[in-house]
Amino acid sequence: MAFSITDSCNGCQACTKLCPVAAISGKKQKLHRIDETLCIECGACGRICPQGAVLDQFGILCQMVKRSRWKKPMISSKTCMSCTICIDVCPVNCLAMSDARDAKNTHGCAYLARAKECIGCGFCALECPVEAIVMQVPDAASQAG
Amino acid sequence: MSRGYMGKILFVDLTSGEIREESISPEVYEDYLSGVGLAAQILYQRIPPQADPLGPDNILGFVSGLLTGTGSLFAGRWMVVGKSPLTGGWGDANCGGSLSPAIKRSGYDGIFFTGISEKPVYLLVKNGRARLKDASHLWGKDTVQAEEMLLSAEGDHARVAVIGPAGENRSLISGICNDKGRIAARSGLGAVMGSKRLKAVVLDGKKRINVFNREEVNALSRKCNAWVQREVPLGPGFTMGYLGALLRILPTAMVQDGFIYKLILRKWGTSGLNQMSPEWGDAPVKNWKGSNIDWPMEKSKSADPDIFKNHEVVKYHCYACPLGCGGICAVTGGAYSRMHKPEYESVLSLGGLCMNEDTDSLFYLNEYLNRAGMDTISAGATVAFAMECFENGILTTDDTGGIDLTWGNTAGMIALIHKMVNREGIGDILADGSRSAAEKIGKGAHTYAIHAGGQEPAMHDGRCDPGFAVHYSVEPTPGRHTTGSQLYYEMFQLWKKVPGLPRKWPFAIYHKNGKFLATREHAQEEAACSSYMNVVNGSGLCLFGTFLGVRRTPTFDWLNAVTGWNKSPEQYLEIGQRIQTIRQAFNIRHGIDPKSFKLSDRAVGRPPMTQGGNKGRTVAIEKMMRDYWTELGWDPETGRPLDQTLVRLGIDAI
Repeated sequence: MAFSITDSCNGCQACTKLCPVAAISGKKQKLHRIDETLCIECGACGRICPQGAVLDQFGILCQMVKRSRWKKPMISSKTCMSCTICIDVCPVNCLAMSDARDAKNTHGCAYLARAKECIGCGFCALECPVEAIVMQVPDAASQAG
Repeated sequence: MSRGYMGKILFVDLTSGEIREESISPEVYEDYLSGVGLAAQILYQRIPPQADPLGPDNILGFVSGLLTGTGSLFAGRWMVVGKSPLTGGWGDANCGGSLSPAIKRSGYDGIFFTGISEKPVYLLVKNGRARLKDASHLWGKDTVQAEEMLLSAEGDHARVAVIGPAGENRSLISGICNDKGRIAARSGLGAVMGSKRLKAVVLDGKKRINVFNREEVNALSRKCNAWVQREVPLGPGFTMGYLGALLRILPTAMVQDGFIYKLILRKWGTSGLNQMSPEWGDAPVKNWKGSNIDWPMEKSKSADPDIFKNHEVVKYHCYACPLGCGGICAVTGGAYSRMHKPEYESVLSLGGLCMNEDTDSLFYLNEYLNRAGMDTISAGATVAFAMECFENGILTTDDTGGIDLTWGNTAGMIALIHKMVNREGIGDILADGSRSAAEKIGKGAHTYAIHAGGQEPAMHDGRCDPGFAVHYSVEPTPGRHTTGSQLYYEMFQLWKKVPGLPRKWPFAIYHKNGKFLATREHAQEEAACSSYMNVVNGSGLCLFGTFLGVRRTPTFDWLNAVTGWNKSPEQYLEIGQRIQTIRQAFNIRHGIDPKSFKLSDRAVGRPPMTQGGNKGRTVAIEKMMRDYWTELGWDPETGRPLDQTLVRLGIDAI
């Protein structure tokens, strides 16, 4: 299954610019479509669409969310095992591995290197085997300290 | 729905430029897993028996593993496969880094190349589209330069497999790099890539990989990781040398638990063995004729594990690895300032094997060879061969272009390796490994070419652990240290999952003489190692991860949780046997006589050493080879898989 676009689409192309796998096509101000063989179900199109014209893989209409409220990965350096699984699965390449944590522990730690690029897909949290990553709205994270 | 595997391969004909996808039926994965198993099934059917390894009919494949990208730990290994120009038979090389998940995220379990391109090209797979692009501007660049240029052109998210000048020059000891210096070095498959004028494979894959029960997979991974993170303090690096001396002096050995190796790898990486192995007798010295007497602690301190650790600025982890045995080193004052930490194999082949005590040269040559895309094991071993030829007057400065190849002459080594990479003068002869060079040099040089089927064995001595000598000699890809040994069998602890296999009691003491007995039990252990490693290589797992034992690193449980299959460990080992047998059948079909893969006399103790840890040891290699073949259902006299074995395993007749 893949995401799909309904007739409500006005061809604003907000989703096209964001899609990390170039799965969305269509002319400006015309109905767009999603290539289901390319779609990775990251949900970015559904979150960005101002028309509410995107259905998820279950056929449920996606709600637009203000980008500043999109969830981002919060990575526990205590739990992170430096395995790079999260870096690999990130479709927009926004995660990276840090330098050595300190003189004693020279294993790096995954961190959000390019926060503006993050599309909040949560694949990193989903695939982290040791649950070192939690997806949170940045404000909420800072409030939690 | 496919689970764990993508169900498709990509086939690229470099002669015509045609690129096509092929679907693979689920039964193939059930019979052969993915990775090396899938590749063996495909190449056995499709490479014609008379194919020139460097000609258009050879097929070069890049395969991932069944567990790669599923949340299973240690599952970041990829393999390159093809008919080896070095041995003439089945060729494969295994590598870590980050390419393995990229193959699957591009939508494929394997990418295969046939034909020969008119001009240098690279394959780009991005957003569901595969195309060949001009690589003329990359030809001649080293692997790091080329990778940086490709990432700059195609984006940082891409993963790159690339050859250097050695592969372009079709050196038969060249390999294929990813992650700026991690190399799939063995079997000479870099030359196959060079012969096809394929400079690189660039993959920018983002596809998801389906898993049957992710919760279960992750739970298994968390348990495994708990073992990896468990620390026990170790002393300074040089103390490992004293431990090696103790292992040498004692008449007894101890059944080993791989957790100890985990501790060593976690702290130093493979360089933790740099001083221990020569002291113990595990590492060959001076082209396999020396011992710890020739290479005492006073000399091996040039490779003290702490030297490498102290240069390390950050640990390097391959994809899905919680261990992090690799490292990124900073070096001042040399030609290269930042590089991968030299591995044990590279340090010993470029160090003790050539009597080279210069630490700086170990860093330099390791990086130079990785950039050139040449196998450090075979390069070091071929230099050692040349040095012994020089010692015996078979090669002179007239032959070498003025290079003095006296044992331990670092400058001579560096000059010679430069010539090998560039195929200049004597380097042109040596660039294809020691067997080929000995044939060209003549004058009895073959006595000093230590090889198995044309491939230089790794830096683990079969006179210390005869299991290595057996696996060097019987594997369809000979000379490899990553397939089995008596030590590996102890660490795999397969008997805990397969009750019919010989049981070992961790830390039990036994007399070393027992290692050298050609018993049925040893043959069972060796056959089990081979079968298990085919499962491991079909899964994309790392050998070092499996050292923890099959319960702590739950290979079989991961496979069931990822695929939804409910196979028993015995069934998985039968799959491993099937993969081993089809690889052997490939060799028979391609005219290989398995007996010809027997390791060189010197390396099995003929004549026996007169000093050092392996003094007086001779491996009963012929008997052990026969016993191993018998155990796998192969003809004990010829090594050819028996017809009934092929039928039982469902393999087409040879």
